[in-house]
Amino acid sequence: MNWLTRLFKKRGNIDYSLLFIVLFLLAFGLVMLYSTSSYEAAAEYKDAAYFLKRQAVFTLLGLIIMVGVSFIPYTFWKKISFLTYMVSIGLIILILPFGLEVNGAKRWLALPGIPMQLQPAEVAKIALIIFSAMFIEKLGRRNLLSLKGFIAPLIPALIVAVLLWKITDNLSSAIITMAIVMGMLFVACPDYKRFVAMGASVAAVGAGAVWFIVNSADQNSLDFRGERILAWLDPQAYAGGKGYQTIQALYAIGSGGMFGKGLGQSMQKLGFIPEAQNDMIFSIICEELGLFGAVSIMLLFLILLWRFVAIASNADDFYGAMLVVGVFSHIAVQVILNIAVVTNTIPNTGVTLPFISYGGSSVFFLLAEIGIVLSVARGLNAEEVLER
Amino acid sequence: MRSDRVVKGRNTHGGKKKFTISMKNKLAVLYGIVLLAFIGLGIRIFIINRDNGQAYTMQVLSQQAYENQTIPYKRGKILDSKGTVLADSQLVYSVIVDSKQILEKDAYLEPSLDALERLGVNRATIREYITNHPSSQYYIARKNLTYQERKAFMDELEEGMAQESKDHVPSAERTYSNVKGIWFESSYIRTYPHGNLGCTVLGYSGANNSGNGGLEEYYNDTLNGVEGRQYGYLDESLNMERTTIDARDGNNLVLTLDANIQSIVQKYLDEFNEQYRDNTHYGNGANNVGCIIMDINSGAILAMAGTPFYDLNHPSDLSALAGMPKLDSRDEATDSYLSYADILTMSSEDKPRYLNALWSNFCVSEYYEPGSTAKPFTMATGLETGTVSLDDTFDCPGYLTIDGFRIRCHNIYGDGLLTLGEALERSCNVAHMIMAEQEGKENFTKFQNVFNFGLKTGVDLADEARTDEFVNDSTMTDATLATNAFGQNFDVTMIQMITGFCSLINGGNYYQPYIVSRITSPSGVTVQTTEPRVIKKTVSEDTSATLRKFTLQVVEGENGTGSTARPAGYRIGGKTGTAETLPRSNGEYVVSFMGYAPYEDPQIAIYVVVDRPNVGVQDDAKYATRIVRSILTEVLPYMNIYMTEPVSDEEREELEDLGLAVTYQGAESGGDD
Repeated sequence: MNWLTRLFKKRGNIDYSLLFIVLFLLAFGLVMLYSTSSYEAAAEYKDAAYFLKRQAVFTLLGLIIMVGVSFIPYTFWKKISFLTYMVSIGLIILILPFGLEVNGAKRWLALPGIPMQLQPAEVAKIALIIFSAMFIEKLGRRNLLSLKGFIAPLIPALIVAVLLWKITDNLSSAIITMAIVMGMLFVACPDYKRFVAMGASVAAVGAGAVWFIVNSADQNSLDFRGERILAWLDPQAYAGGKGYQTIQALYAIGSGGMFGKGLGQSMQKLGFIPEAQNDMIFSIICEELGLFGAVSIMLLFLILLWRFVAIASNADDFYGAMLVVGVFSHIAVQVILNIAVVTNTIPNTGVTLPFISYGGSSVFFLLAEIGIVLSVARGLNAEEVLER
Repeated sequence: MRSDRVVKGRNTHGGKKKFTISMKNKLAVLYGIVLLAFIGLGIRIFIINRDNGQAYTMQVLSQQAYENQTIPYKRGKILDSKGTVLADSQLVYSVIVDSKQILEKDAYLEPSLDALERLGVNRATIREYITNHPSSQYYIARKNLTYQERKAFMDELEEGMAQESKDHVPSAERTYSNVKGIWFESSYIRTYPHGNLGCTVLGYSGANNSGNGGLEEYYNDTLNGVEGRQYGYLDESLNMERTTIDARDGNNLVLTLDANIQSIVQKYLDEFNEQYRDNTHYGNGANNVGCIIMDINSGAILAMAGTPFYDLNHPSDLSALAGMPKLDSRDEATDSYLSYADILTMSSEDKPRYLNALWSNFCVSEYYEPGSTAKPFTMATGLETGTVSLDDTFDCPGYLTIDGFRIRCHNIYGDGLLTLGEALERSCNVAHMIMAEQEGKENFTKFQNVFNFGLKTGVDLADEARTDEFVNDSTMTDATLATNAFGQNFDVTMIQMITGFCSLINGGNYYQPYIVSRITSPSGVTVQTTEPRVIKKTVSEDTSATLRKFTLQVVEGENGTGSTARPAGYRIGGKTGTAETLPRSNGEYVVSFMGYAPYEDPQIAIYVVVDRPNVGVQDDAKYATRIVRSILTEVLPYMNIYMTEPVSDEEREELEDLGLAVTYQGAESGGDD
């Protein structure tokens, strides 16, 4: 009891600006989700609010979890970090026998008894943040400077990435998990050269791969990722196939203009961008709210990320800061990749826009991550609580 | 405040790692990188808008493909006087196949083909079409799918899709959810629930809602509604606005025609046609057998039919042509007849000629010489002009020589001395020639005009013929006058004859014949009613009474020519007719009977014309009177007209066979003789 009263006495330190931005993004996301999905929902499910209702349920559950998690001393996660990591790997492996196929991809686990599905990739991301923060802290600065020490924390991330890629055929989630850990390492490791070198080599390999694909003698033999590269370079030429979604998204963005067609006025959502409420929702935002709306949303994300920077910088300890940096990397990478895909800046790969795209697991675990950040913001670590 | 706590934390847990300044700097650098990426993406969005905004906006608008779409209206129904639906329009759907969509994923093809098969599309054919036309987006795979069929299909599909998503069937294995590229387009088709009932009266309406013949043509604009439209347009800020203007359905016709009377009529006409089919020569029982039943006191048409019949649902079915006379180059009937072999080898120029002959309404569009049924009119003319009196007698030696022509009576031995009544009873040509001579050409032609011979009656049916070339010529020769007196050398239509005859019987009121009694809106509200319209007075009540009595004698008289027309239990009046067709002496006749019933209180007029019966000796009015008898035997009881005469045992048996009751109440309600 004593422990609990102390816990609640510390309520005053809630980071309201972070909370407000998150709530705003969620509300805005629901509005856009409804606008984007109502046409298809009405056509397919005879209920215009079908997607909205489902997303609202997950959002609500996520908010409850967020509040709950924000009360849990974040040091608690350090203790169960290995367990969390193993569970997330177990869930990915469970897809092999029990996975649920939707739209040709096997990425979901059916939850027994309720009409909801779990996407293990989303669990893996949060688990990896918790685990890597612990791992990097354990290694310490000095070890990180050595090659062995630098590579060590990348290995659990690589395992997750490979599993996600191979089992769920979800390259984008694999990239995101790697990027999260890279971001955490970048902050933890007092060195720049190796990151510049790594960035350069990734860029070189990417360019090489593109060059190889473009000059490949028999383009018909390429797998779908190869075709996506070609569609990326010339979406107009693949407008009927792999480039369809991309070119339709570009039409949406281009037709939006400075202030857009107005909320709810998108034409591209009327069946031209399939499942626009998922990865392509940002293109509908551009179409309906224009450049102004798009930049506003990006600014909101920048403020959100800035709050993470501030919270990490003021964190009580290294572990708390690392957790926030992990969440920072996660959200930053997803927003950047999503907008880059929608604007055809990079080849098409399925990345959702945090808080806004349709996806129950995504919003639920993102809010859990925000809960962790809030608990760090409150300087809530168990030792202190127990001590007072 | 926070740093305060950090200090405190460090004090108590000296070993705990902290987030150093350099790490904070690196986080700031990371934020800077993210910021740069965001700025880059913002610029990218700006560039897309700046460089391609115009083109993409156009593209978005153009691919909306929101073409103007018409919404079909429902053509009005045609109902008989009791509300029986004779013609209706039903909502049907065409199945449209979009190959491009079906071929989008491998998993779509088989489920979509299954679905098309369920819709009654041949699987092999449609598969071939889809594979050969992979980019086709509009192909009509099937027409005339009923509303129920479509609904059953959609229900099954919806249920299947719901079940599949409930069972979490992998998307590649789904059978219902992978049905793609099948659309429905709605339209209306005209259906005639009773097939050939009232065929030439109704006419038919094709897919484009344009009536052909009969009521469908005459009332085409009334039956048709106004198409609705669904269209999109761009407002000033380039927003796509959508507007739907609903279709306005057509009005319904309610007829004076009674489907039961009509079917009785058609039954006996058909019976005659079948009885004498291939009798003396190959072909139908007669070139045409026509019948009109009219309400004598209003001009309302209760039934109208003419053989050969055709199925309104399949008006172009050529097999209905079999047994019809072949046509010469002027579309006149010849003496040879169409066989099935002829139909199979029929040229594409001939097909429309013969089909037009089939669809033609014998009762209003065809004309012929009326023969002796014109005699009551000749007599009425004399009585009205005072040139013939009731006391006149006529001596018939069997012929009369006029202008050097020896014009014969039927009875070549002569009928002897006849009273006026006997002249009609025996249908004596000579007596009527004398009457016409007494009347004079001027009076005669004047009354031909009064009786409206040769002119349109104005009946509300398409293609009514006008035949006044000879009728109104007062410079006619004496021979023409003489032959006109007994119905030769001038042409009439059936509708002209019966309308004129009604006025002779009902006291001289010439009603404009009509068949549509009411026009109702799609919701059933009456928008227009037809009232019986007296166009003119033809004869006085006295003349009318005289003719009622004399025509009764034609049926009941000892020497009456129409005795075989009388139905059991009733007294009727009428007049037979046998007219030799041109060229004369070829043994071909148009035989007819025109009558009214019942004698005491005339309600209906009936006119049956048998055009060239398929028999050895054609000049016998019994071919017509027997049909009249059969029809009236059933129609009068149906109309709740009670019998006034006792029936013989033989007649009783006949009535019982037909399932008809003897409604004779005894002598007190009997006739006035």
